Amino acid sequence: MNDPRRGWPLPVRLFHWLGAVLVLWTLALGTYMVQFVDDAARRFELTQTHKSIGIAILGVTIIRLFLRLVTVAPKPELAARLTVLAAKLAHWALYALLVVMPASGWLMISTTPVRVPTVVFGLFRLPYPLAPNVPLYRLAHAIHLASAIALAALIAVHVAAALIHALLWRDQTLARMFWRPSTSGQPAPVD
Amino acid sequence: MGSASIVRRRASCEVASVWRIAAICAVIALGCASALAAGPAQSWRIDEARTSIAFRVDAVGFPQTRGHFTRYNGRILIDFEHPAKSFTTFTVEAASVELGSPAFNAFVKGATLLDVEKFPTLSFSSTSVEKVDSHTARITGNLTMLGVTKPLTLAVNVDADGASRGRTVSFIATGTLKRSDYGMSFGTPLIDDALEITVKTRALTDE
Repeated sequence: MNDPRRGWPLPVRLFHWLGAVLVLWTLALGTYMVQFVDDAARRFELTQTHKSIGIAILGVTIIRLFLRLVTVAPKPELAARLTVLAAKLAHWALYALLVVMPASGWLMISTTPVRVPTVVFGLFRLPYPLAPNVPLYRLAHAIHLASAIALAALIAVHVAAALIHALLWRDQTLARMFWRPSTSGQPAPVD
Repeated sequence: MGSASIVRRRASCEVASVWRIAAICAVIALGCASALAAGPAQSWRIDEARTSIAFRVDAVGFPQTRGHFTRYNGRILIDFEHPAKSFTTFTVEAASVELGSPAFNAFVKGATLLDVEKFPTLSFSSTSVEKVDSHTARITGNLTMLGVTKPLTLAVNVDADGASRGRTVSFIATGTLKRSDYGMSFGTPLIDDALEITVKTRALTDE
């Protein structure tokens, strides 16, 4: 049953790719708006979008963690014990950062004295449960920045590892994140 | 009887017209008298195309915010002989604040900053004008913002030279206020308490 050729269930794959798009979008947006946007009005607008995406990532990550906990993962492809352990560590570190990133962002916007309401994609207003607190805001900001760098680095490792699996080792690790492989080893285009 | 009443009505209309003309003359005479009493300070027209009422504020971790107001009323009286008798007043419509983004405008108009629903206008009226040298003056006046009135001094660069000397005067007035004095402490200390104001205007006269 726990066969490496068994794929991931559709919801796991869908939320993986949805999370990937949102994370890459907001990492790029966050870097761009802080490093390159000197116009206050433009920065204000981009920050509103950045906050909405971040909260969406928090929601997607919670769903992904739930799905991961109720899913029997396909057995990893054959690899050195240390490689499998490194992969496991990297995956849990990714999950941790995907929680820490938006959570520290939320901490930033709810402890900053510059309290700008966050209406997530125009749908609902994010609660700010904490009072403004500049030292806590600065700490949250430092965590947000450090975790962004760590997340970007880990995503690079994750993508490199996926490409090594697909191109060098020619196994099903990357393929099964796209589709559920058939028992004959040929990828099935539809679930 | 019918024609008599028409005649009477016409007569009363004429009497009313005479009184109206007399009243208008009296108002004009009073106006002239008060103008004479006030000295030769002339009221100048404000050239709206050359006027801007702008502000800027610095912040930590955020670009400098620059904005301006698009709707205002102003009056400028200039007395070159006795600069101290010059006077100016400006009233700006708070909801006309423009920062370059509808979302940013909406936020700045909100209750935490300009609170435009509660305080629809901001105004400044000079209380003293002091000539510093031939091109600079110092205007002290009262600024009313968020219902709080505090004195504010503006340094004014005056340019009455140029091709149309005597017919146009350009001013650049700058001053800095502490937002918290007016109860606007939002964002401090990450957003500076100091708000810099720059009013550029050009006054015209037909004389």
